[in-house]
Amino acid sequence: MLKKVEAIIKPFKLDDVKEALNGIGIQGMTVSEVKGYGRQKGHKEVYRGAEYVVDFIPKIKIEIVVAADQAEQVVAKIRDAAYTGKIGDGKIFVLPVEQAVRVRTGETGTDAV
Amino acid sequence: MHCYQALSALPQAGPGRLGATRRMITEHPGTLLSIHETSSRRLRERIAELTRRFLRGKQPDFMKQHSRALDDYFEAAFESSRIGPRMQINKNPYAIIALGGYGREEQSIHSDVDLLFLFAKRVPTDAENLIREMIYPLWDIGMDVGYATRSVKECLTLAASDLNILTPLLDARFICGMSMLFSDLMSQLRDKVIRKRRDRLVDQLLAATRSRHAQYGDSAYLLEPNLKEGQGGLRDYHTMLWTARLDTDLRQPRDLEYLGLLSHAEYQQLWDALGFIWSARNHLHHICGRKCDRLHFETQIRIAETLKYRAEVGQQPVERFLGELHGRMEEVKRRHLLLQHELGVESRGRRRRPAPKSPVEGIESVSWGMLNFTGPEAVLKRPELLIRIFEESALLKAPLSPEAKRLVGEFLYLVDAGYRSTPEIVRAFERILKAPDADFSVLDDMHTTGFLEAFIPEFRSISNRIQYDEYHLYPVDKHLLRTVQTIKQLAGGEGSEPLFTRVYQELKSKVLLAWAALLHDVGKGDPREDHAEHGAEIVRRLLAEKGLTAAEVDTVAFLVREHLYLIKTATRRDIHDEETAVACARRIMDPDRLKMLYVLTVADSVATGPAAWNDWTAHLLRELFMKVLNILERGELASEEAVAVLERKRTAVLGAAATDAERGELGRLFEVFSPRYLLSVPAEGILAHIPLYRRLGAGEFVWDIRPSAEGATRTVTICAKDRPGLIASMAGVFTLNNINILGVQVFTWRNRVALDVFEVTPPPDTIFEAEKWQRAADNLQAVLAGALELAEALRPRLEASRVVRPKGVKRAHRVRVDNTISSFFTIVEVFTYDFPGLLYLVADALYRCGLDISVAKIATKVDQVVDVFYVRDINGQKVDTAERVSAVKEAVLARLPRLE
Repeated sequence: MLKKVEAIIKPFKLDDVKEALNGIGIQGMTVSEVKGYGRQKGHKEVYRGAEYVVDFIPKIKIEIVVAADQAEQVVAKIRDAAYTGKIGDGKIFVLPVEQAVRVRTGETGTDAV
Repeated sequence: MHCYQALSALPQAGPGRLGATRRMITEHPGTLLSIHETSSRRLRERIAELTRRFLRGKQPDFMKQHSRALDDYFEAAFESSRIGPRMQINKNPYAIIALGGYGREEQSIHSDVDLLFLFAKRVPTDAENLIREMIYPLWDIGMDVGYATRSVKECLTLAASDLNILTPLLDARFICGMSMLFSDLMSQLRDKVIRKRRDRLVDQLLAATRSRHAQYGDSAYLLEPNLKEGQGGLRDYHTMLWTARLDTDLRQPRDLEYLGLLSHAEYQQLWDALGFIWSARNHLHHICGRKCDRLHFETQIRIAETLKYRAEVGQQPVERFLGELHGRMEEVKRRHLLLQHELGVESRGRRRRPAPKSPVEGIESVSWGMLNFTGPEAVLKRPELLIRIFEESALLKAPLSPEAKRLVGEFLYLVDAGYRSTPEIVRAFERILKAPDADFSVLDDMHTTGFLEAFIPEFRSISNRIQYDEYHLYPVDKHLLRTVQTIKQLAGGEGSEPLFTRVYQELKSKVLLAWAALLHDVGKGDPREDHAEHGAEIVRRLLAEKGLTAAEVDTVAFLVREHLYLIKTATRRDIHDEETAVACARRIMDPDRLKMLYVLTVADSVATGPAAWNDWTAHLLRELFMKVLNILERGELASEEAVAVLERKRTAVLGAAATDAERGELGRLFEVFSPRYLLSVPAEGILAHIPLYRRLGAGEFVWDIRPSAEGATRTVTICAKDRPGLIASMAGVFTLNNINILGVQVFTWRNRVALDVFEVTPPPDTIFEAEKWQRAADNLQAVLAGALELAEALRPRLEASRVVRPKGVKRAHRVRVDNTISSFFTIVEVFTYDFPGLLYLVADALYRCGLDISVAKIATKVDQVVDVFYVRDINGQKVDTAERVSAVKEAVLARLPRLE
């Protein structure tokens, strides 16, 4: 039984989250730079009278697939590390995963993650 | 087997020779089959042996021998062909011609074989059988053979309309058969096809090169080069040959030299470069087991190993291999572009315009708008011509001729230590740094002739140094030149960085920026040190030698040392925290330096590759830049004075620590204090607040009440867990207890703790003051717990404040909302008259607008009050839309009393 944990966090929190996850033995994760459109709206900056509107907030998305019984711990660790208390801290989602396969060896299931 | 199938297609056997042949074959099936099969088997063995020898490094002319082996096969096949002679007899002579790579004798291990079966008039129906007879055995041994069967006329017609048919023909080589057919084809090709269309063909070849370079010059191909199609790949060399063949009778590559298109040395260099690339390509074929041209990461490592590259300090074998490959491909690319230029390709239009004249004595314009020295003596007489020619090149947008480049290379010994620091020479170099680029880069030319390294010896340690990871695309030296180039492009408005262009235009010294761009990675030559620091040291020495002033050297060294600082901060720190911008501002201190650093950061990232620069990163950097600039331009938080004050307070506070542990704790607390708190509160105040904070613990609030020096007022310091509406609650409780607020300073620390200092009048009854304060504390507790409804409780008291009668001149209340002073907060200023409950009403109005007060300063002067609030909404955003601003103004004004 596998779960995928997806977390959207503030960019500068990436190192903290990675460290926290390494601390519980999780090495592999996928990281992408994403654009957030949420309550923490982009706004306009003005420079010498010229407006620079930015309508997105840069965020980092982390994706990890773990054994189902590890998911809760992973979520907690991510939350602790990514927390600042201010708006825009992000969200974490947990999704079910049907199958996982390691390309090199063909291992499946929890052996593949 | 296939031969049998072919034979079955033959018309029915009848009397005569044809029938005899068929009978012979059916009666002796082994005959025909064995001849070709044996032949092809022998060919396969021969190629295998050649390949083995190549892999052991013992076959330097592998490709030529490979072609020869194929030639031998075809000759033998021709000799022993059954169908061939029949066709000859029927007046259908033919020739077997090698096309394309096979024609050029450049057969790599798995290259395909490109053939033309050329006929005089029509292609006979038998041709198909001929093909099968000769080619099927090759397919059987797994070779990739492509063929065309055409008459001479068909060849010419097709070549006239399709460049992709013409170019393989340009490489055509006769193998066997009727040689007259071949010479006939080639002369007709020249007369009927090439001569008439020479200029157009030249343009087409150039266009093809351009589009190929654009397609394969993409950043990805620099990490994993395409040896054939990439910039400086084999196609560049093939195009050279084709272009030369349009004008001349070039037969073999050496003719490039013999026909005067290249000097001996140039030809040798080109040939060496090609040899290296061919070798890499053959290894690549061998590793992949098939034809391929793209050097992927894995194969790069294996080839580096096979070619026995060794690791050196800070460089893996694969990096050295790639470094050399890049250098070789650069050589090919350069040769190619130069030849196209020389053959009048680029400047066909310019030929009609007069070549630009150079006013400098000793430099002249030569053919096709290129520059050269009037002679070697000119350089010897005036060595400064070495740099002047580059300067003219930039000014007139005319490249150096090959001869000029040769001369520069030969006279590099003139660039000695004295030369390097001669002021006029340095100034000329600076002018070149700033000059906009044409479609060629003068700095690149300076680099390839070796002049740049002679003038700046520190460049040597980073030449062709490759960083092997998916982030860095260009060798370090190229990257530095590209950064300079990028600044020019972006400054000119290319690309989509309008902010860059604006900021660049405001820079006080663009030449210092150019120096920094040129040298910022020069510290990478020594991988053991932090390259930014190391680079800054190198730059100091270097620029001092070049005669720049101390201030100028300082600035460039600063830029080099900090060239990664902005981007690191933007991606690793919370840019929505004012403290981040303040810390940044304090490190940079000068707005002009900040602008230079921003421009340098953008150019550096763009010149590194797409992984380093995109929308996402641009956004973060821009936001940080604007916030830091704002702070620097306002001055209050990051001025030199502010920094000095901060240092003094820090020393004072930490100095008060009794133990190391305490000092550590105080140091940590210092990180938590907000910038305004630290600047506004004196060191003794900070020291007094710390025990108060310790008392807070998990509670809602604690306070400390002290009399002022004269005893007339009280200072109430409240340390509380921050929440929206806190100020309103505190002010309301004071008003409820008849305590007059004279002044307030509100601070919010970074850990969401509020530190508020109220200056108040004591409760009217001084005898039972302590009890009064206790009651006030209980009130506040109750309010914060939600047990006491302040609005209700205050109603009777606030009735009296409905109307205010100011003494002296009556001024209307005013509320100002400012969004320009701070990038982090909206500033609300309230100008009004003092009355009991004022602070409560205003703070409550802001609270009901959904605003949170982070900093406030309330001061009373006689009966006039100026309240300044730094606010944000509950989402941490400023209040910057017109509607919301009016809403806030109205909300506050509505709570203020009528003036009479």
